[in-house]
Amino acid sequence: MAEVLLQPKGKIGIMIEAEVIRADTLAKKRGEEIERLLVWQGPVQLPLGDFFEVEVRGTGQAEETVVVIEGDVSRVKRIGQGMKTGKIEILGSAGMHLGAEMAGGSILVRGDAGSWAGMEMKGGLLQIMGNAGDHVGCSYRGSWRGMTGGQILIEGNAQSQLGSGLVGGQIVVAGNVESFCGIRQNGGLVLVKGNAVRGAGAEMTGGTLAVLGKIKHFSPGFVEAGREESPKLGDLQLEGKFARFSGDYAISKNPKGVLYCKEG
Amino acid sequence: MAFKNIICPVCGASCDDIQVELRGSKIVTKNACKMGNAKFWEIFSPHRIREPLLKESGSFCTALWDEAVDRAAMILVKAKRPLIFMGSETSCEAMQVGLHLAEFLGAIADSNSTVCHGPTAMGIQEAGRVGATAGQSKSRSDLVVYWGSNPLESMPRHMSRYGVYPRGYWTRRGRFDRTVITVDPRKSITARNSDLHIQLKPNTDYELLSALLTLLHGKKPHPSVEKVTGVSISEMEEMLERMLGCNFGAIYVGLGIASSFGKHRNAEAALNLVKELNNHTKFVIGALRGHCNVAGFNQIASYLYGYPFGLDFARGYPRYNPGEYTAVDVLREQDVDAALIVSADLVSHFPAACARYLAELPVACIDIAPCPTTMISQVVLPGVIDAMECDGTFYRLDDVPVYFQPFTGSPFSFTDSNEDTMKQIFQKVKEMKR
Amino acid sequence: MEAMLNLFVSTRGSGKMMKEFLLNTGSTIEEGRLAKGGSKLTEDYTQECAVCEMNPGDFQDLGSPQKVKITSRDGRYSVAAYAHPEESIQSGQVFMPRAIWSNVVVDPETFSTGSPLYKGSPVQIEPTKEDVLSAEELVLKLYVRS
Repeated sequence: MAEVLLQPKGKIGIMIEAEVIRADTLAKKRGEEIERLLVWQGPVQLPLGDFFEVEVRGTGQAEETVVVIEGDVSRVKRIGQGMKTGKIEILGSAGMHLGAEMAGGSILVRGDAGSWAGMEMKGGLLQIMGNAGDHVGCSYRGSWRGMTGGQILIEGNAQSQLGSGLVGGQIVVAGNVESFCGIRQNGGLVLVKGNAVRGAGAEMTGGTLAVLGKIKHFSPGFVEAGREESPKLGDLQLEGKFARFSGDYAISKNPKGVLYCKEG
Repeated sequence: MAFKNIICPVCGASCDDIQVELRGSKIVTKNACKMGNAKFWEIFSPHRIREPLLKESGSFCTALWDEAVDRAAMILVKAKRPLIFMGSETSCEAMQVGLHLAEFLGAIADSNSTVCHGPTAMGIQEAGRVGATAGQSKSRSDLVVYWGSNPLESMPRHMSRYGVYPRGYWTRRGRFDRTVITVDPRKSITARNSDLHIQLKPNTDYELLSALLTLLHGKKPHPSVEKVTGVSISEMEEMLERMLGCNFGAIYVGLGIASSFGKHRNAEAALNLVKELNNHTKFVIGALRGHCNVAGFNQIASYLYGYPFGLDFARGYPRYNPGEYTAVDVLREQDVDAALIVSADLVSHFPAACARYLAELPVACIDIAPCPTTMISQVVLPGVIDAMECDGTFYRLDDVPVYFQPFTGSPFSFTDSNEDTMKQIFQKVKEMKR
Repeated sequence: MEAMLNLFVSTRGSGKMMKEFLLNTGSTIEEGRLAKGGSKLTEDYTQECAVCEMNPGDFQDLGSPQKVKITSRDGRYSVAAYAHPEESIQSGQVFMPRAIWSNVVVDPETFSTGSPLYKGSPVQIEPTKEDVLSAEELVLKLYVRS
C-alpha cells in the first residue's frame, strides 16, 4: 500500500490541467519525481511541485496506490483522466474532466465535480459526494457514443446532459438533474432519485432511464407502454409503482429506449 | 461622387446594392435600411475615434500610434492566458490575423458567433444541416418559417430581398406565392405579418420541435406538451400540414432557438425536423445571422483550425470545448488575464459577471466609436470601417463569401485596415517575444 | 427553471410587490440604428434601450410604475429601466432591447455552450424610484472599480 499526499499550496489563478495526477502514473515514484512532473497553465508547462506539496508514504504497486488530494482543486482540470487502476480521493472539490476516459480504479470526491466528469468512461468507479456539473458520463462533443462501462454515483445534484450517448455502465444520481439527462442514450442505465427539469431521455434509442421524482417538461416523444410494480433494473431494485414509457419517437420510428417514472 | 453596388457592413444580409453619394463631408445612401444608413454616416460622425488613446491613471490621453500598438502588444505578451476576441463587424482577413496571433501566443480565440449562433453551429455538429443559399430560397421557397427570429427588426431587408416578398423563378407572385409561419413567444411585428403565428411559451422550443417530430413519426405526442408549450396539438398538426404541403420550405432560425434554454439541443431538434421533412418534401434551414461577418469567423476558424468558435491554443494545437474555452465562460470563471477585443462591445453584450471581470483586466481594443468596452480599455486603437474604407471578405448569412471594395480610403496615415492594425500588433508581439 | 412563475413576494416590510418574470431580450430596429451609428453613450440610446416592456395586466399589477428595477436570478445585479405596457407580450414575460441594461441581469450560465441565457432568463421585477442610468453611468457604477 502506497499513499501519495498532495496538498494544494494556495489559490490557483489560471486553471491548470493536470492529467498526470493519476494513481497509476504516480505509483512507484519518489516525492521529488512527482514534484517534477509537468502540468499545463495556459500555454506554459510548470512542475506539479509549484502547485502542490507532495508527500509519499509507503510503497506498492499501482493498484494499491492511493492519491489523496487534501484540499480544493476546483481549478485543476483532468485529474484522473484515463486512469486504469489505483485510487484517488479528493477531500475538496475537483475541476473539469475529472476521471474522463477512465478505464479502471476508483475516484472519490468529497466536494463537487466540474463538468465532463467521467466523459466516455470505460470502467471503474467515480463517486461524487457533492454536486456535479454538465456532461457527466457523456460523449465527446459531436459523438453519439458516451460512457461504455463502469459506474458513476452522485450524492448531490447534476446539471445538464448527464449520460448523453450512454452506451453501457450505470449512473445513479441521488439528487436532481437539470436538462437533457440521458439524451441520445442507446444503452446502459441512468437512475435519478430526484427530479428532472426537461428533456429526460430525449432522443433516446436504447437503454433504461428511471426518474423517481417529477419531470417538469416531459419529453413529448415518449409513449406509455404499461405499468410495473417494483421493477428490477440490472442489479438495482426499485420500490413502488412505475409507469413505463418507450421512446423517443421524436428521433426514430422504432426506438428501444425505456423510461420509468414513479407514480404518485 | 456616386458609387453603386456597395456592400453594407452591418448585418448578416450583406446587402450588395447600396448606393452611396459623397458630397463633401456629407453622405447620402440609397437602399440601405435604418441600421445600415446609420453606419454609413459613421464615416463623418463627430464621435468617431480618430486617434489612439491610452489610459493613464484612470483617464484617456491621446497617444502616438506606435506607442499604442506597443502597449497593446505588451498587454498580450505579459499575459499568462490572453483572450483574442474577434468581433463580427470586420473582415475575414482581420480575423485570420487574430486567429494566427492566438495560435502564436497559445491564447484563446473567440468571436461574437459564440454568443450569437454558436449553439446553432453546435447543433449542426450533432445533426448535420440541409441548407441553401439565399438565392435558392428566393427562387424556390413557397413556405417560410421564422423560428425565434424577428427579421423586421433584426435583419430589416431579409423579407424583401430573400425571404418573403421577392419574385423568383418559381415564386413569380412574390408574397402571394408564399406562406409565412412565425414561431415566437412575442407577437412581434414579423408575427403580425405572418399567416400563422405559433405563440409558444419561452424556453419550450425543444418540446415543440420534439412534438412535431413525434407527429411526423406517426405517434401522438405526450399530452403534457400542450401545457408545457402553450400550443395545442391541433395547432401543431395544422402547422405540420402546411409544412408538408409546400414544395420548398425554408426555416430561418433566430436567437430564440440559440439563446433560449435548451441551446444547441433546440438547434439540433430543428435540424432533425428539417432532415425528416425532406422525406416528404424539400426543406432547408439557415440561421439569421445578426452581425455582418459573424458567419465569417465560423468559416475561417473552421478551415484554418477545424473548429467554428471558442478555440484554445494553450497546447499549441487547436482545441474546442464550448463552456470551457468560450469567452463568456472564461470571463465568468476568471480563466483569462488579458484581452484584445476587435470591433465588439463585450461590456454591453456580456452578462454582468463577465463584464465586471473584464473591466479588471488589461484590455486593448480596436473600435470606431466610444462604447462601454472602450471605456474599460487601457488601449484604444481607432478602427477602419470595412466595406467603406478598405476591401476584404465577409460571409453572408447563408455562408456565401462576399468580396467588398471600398468607396473611400482609410482616414488614417498609420493603418489601412483592421487587418493592417492586427498585423502591426502581431509583428510587435513577435519582436517582444524574440 | 420555471416556464412561468407568478409568485408574489412581499419585500421586507415595504409591502411592495415583487414579481418574477422571464426576460426576453432582442433587437429592435431603433436599437440597431443607434448601436450601429456609434451612439451607445447618448441619451437617445438610453431612452430606446433602458426599457422594460411588459403585458398590460402585469404592468397594472405592479401599480403602473414609471420605472422598474430588474434583478438577476441570483440577486447579485440589478438595473432600473422605464416600464412600458405592451400588448404583444404575454403575461409573465418581459422584453428588453438587447443592450447593456438587459445584459446586466442576463444569467451568465451557458450550460456548457458558451452562450448565456439572452432569452428566457428568470428575473425579479419591482417598481422603483431609482434613476435610470445612462450606459456610461452604468459602466462606472457596476463595472469600474475606483
